[in-house]
Amino acid sequence: MTTIVRSATGAARAGAVAVLLSFTLFPAYFMVISGLSAGAASGTEVLVPVRLTLAHFEQVLLHGDFLRYLRNSAVVAIITVVGSGLLALFAAVAVARFRFRMRTTVLVMVLVVQMVPLEALVIPLFLMARDLRMLNSLIGLAVVYIALSLPFAVWMLRGFVAAVPVEVEEAAAIDGASWGRTLWSVLLPLAAPGLVACSIFSFITAWNEFILALTFMNDSDKFTAAVGLRQFFGLNTTAWGPVMAASTLITLPVMVFFLFVQRGLVSGLAAGAVKG
Amino acid sequence: MARTAVPVRGGPAVSVRPTPTRTSRRRHRAPLRPLLLLAPALAVMGILLLYPLVRVVLLSFQDYTLANVVSGASDYTGLRNYTLLLRDPYLWTVVLPNTVVFAILAVGGTVVLGTLVALLLQSLRPLSRTIVIGCVLVAWAMPAVTGTYVWIWIFDVDRGIVFQLLHGTGLLGAEGHNWFTDRVSFYAIVVLNVVHHGFPFVAVTVLAGLLTVPGELHEAARLDGATAWQRFRHITFPAIRPVFAVVTILSTIWDFKVFAQVYLMPGGAGSNAQVLNLGVWSYIRSFAQQSYGTGAAIAVLLTALLLAITLVYLRVLFGSEELR
Repeated sequence: MTTIVRSATGAARAGAVAVLLSFTLFPAYFMVISGLSAGAASGTEVLVPVRLTLAHFEQVLLHGDFLRYLRNSAVVAIITVVGSGLLALFAAVAVARFRFRMRTTVLVMVLVVQMVPLEALVIPLFLMARDLRMLNSLIGLAVVYIALSLPFAVWMLRGFVAAVPVEVEEAAAIDGASWGRTLWSVLLPLAAPGLVACSIFSFITAWNEFILALTFMNDSDKFTAAVGLRQFFGLNTTAWGPVMAASTLITLPVMVFFLFVQRGLVSGLAAGAVKG
Repeated sequence: MARTAVPVRGGPAVSVRPTPTRTSRRRHRAPLRPLLLLAPALAVMGILLLYPLVRVVLLSFQDYTLANVVSGASDYTGLRNYTLLLRDPYLWTVVLPNTVVFAILAVGGTVVLGTLVALLLQSLRPLSRTIVIGCVLVAWAMPAVTGTYVWIWIFDVDRGIVFQLLHGTGLLGAEGHNWFTDRVSFYAIVVLNVVHHGFPFVAVTVLAGLLTVPGELHEAARLDGATAWQRFRHITFPAIRPVFAVVTILSTIWDFKVFAQVYLMPGGAGSNAQVLNLGVWSYIRSFAQQSYGTGAAIAVLLTALLLAITLVYLRVLFGSEELR
């Protein structure tokens, strides 16, 4: 009797997992397979592809400007990663290692600032960028992304820096290392995992961002990949093969990086969430 | 921000590791050092996040159009933008329902599905649990922009897989059906898109909470004859209420300000006035119609709404004594 019940719940569980997996994986599968299918003219043809080809990828990368958009995205993302990593590290050391007036105020401000919707910031940021002649500038866009990714990066790195025992630093100081040397040779290597995770998050922020890139970049030479994707849409019909191939190219690096930080992400979120 | 990974979706307000209290006890001899270390980050955030926030509020009191952008002069009109906005039936019949009803459905769907998936994951063996989590995260890792295009392709009017399946089973004629014109079916697709993208975050966070609930409690309740629902309602839920608070607040904030998921859909960029939400309406008033003052007022309304919701949630879910 119990074995029957057990196998019944086991079957129900397996069924639930199967439904879950097909729901969660279907869009990604459909995207990749549409990019790879020779036809890609209709959904059902693509579902179980008859003929696979790299023609759409070839078309996307070799003809048209998509490669340039990908390069623009990469440039913006790299500037963002380096800039926000550096600034966040300094700020994290300040809030984790020093006690000073306004410390709590600063931390709460950092927290509140990231609740503000981007839709509210895009108008003034556009006017600022326009006044400073920073529209259509990859650096200008990257600087805004640095600001966007900083609050989370500071909060996250703060935990990693705080987890490094103070005694290690004190030992270095006793051995005669200057404070800058201690920061560079002792603290930085020990907090490196945090810096890697935080770099990946900044990368994803910059790579995926849409509304600011859409507003700032009017010159098609300066489109990022997320915005440049719109170029593939015709007035009446859409060539879904190339669109999905290009989407796959945008998604791939994010996917790889994301799965790379998954463990830290899940446990980190949990630690914060469980503490409420 | 687009709704992707944690920080990508706007960044949750959770500290990653608890700060040991003893670490910040020293170094009074260099009082300027922390300020120097903080200065660059604070300057960047102040100039690019805080100042724009102030400026958008100021803009919302101005009649700021293309002429003002060119001349740089400001033209204060007091509360005029707000009175016009609040008297506009379009706000009350179209934009606000689109924003609020959508957010309620999307948050509800995300939290319920995420919780069910977390309970399912909890019942799996460690190896299969890890594999399934990996697959679930694929949905989260998908950028909002490309994810939205995939859903548009799935629901494509002429050649989409949904049309073909419905046509094949005879439920739909050859003329097809445009899912994107009617606002109910339009937002049904947005809900599907947003729930698909958002539930992994809820699932992994709730799962982490579930794993902290002692198994003995469930064992005891089961011996007392409690049903699965009673055990969830009276043991699991109270034990991890803060986790539910966090995922609900974050999902609400994210779902109230979805942008790319609406803007990129056919008609979502302004050609179909029936499907705009607050964020997209603000953007279109500002950048398509060059009425920056009105756009700013809509954006301020959205921000105030988010702020109010966050405060109410915190009070209801944590109780006033826990909130301090």
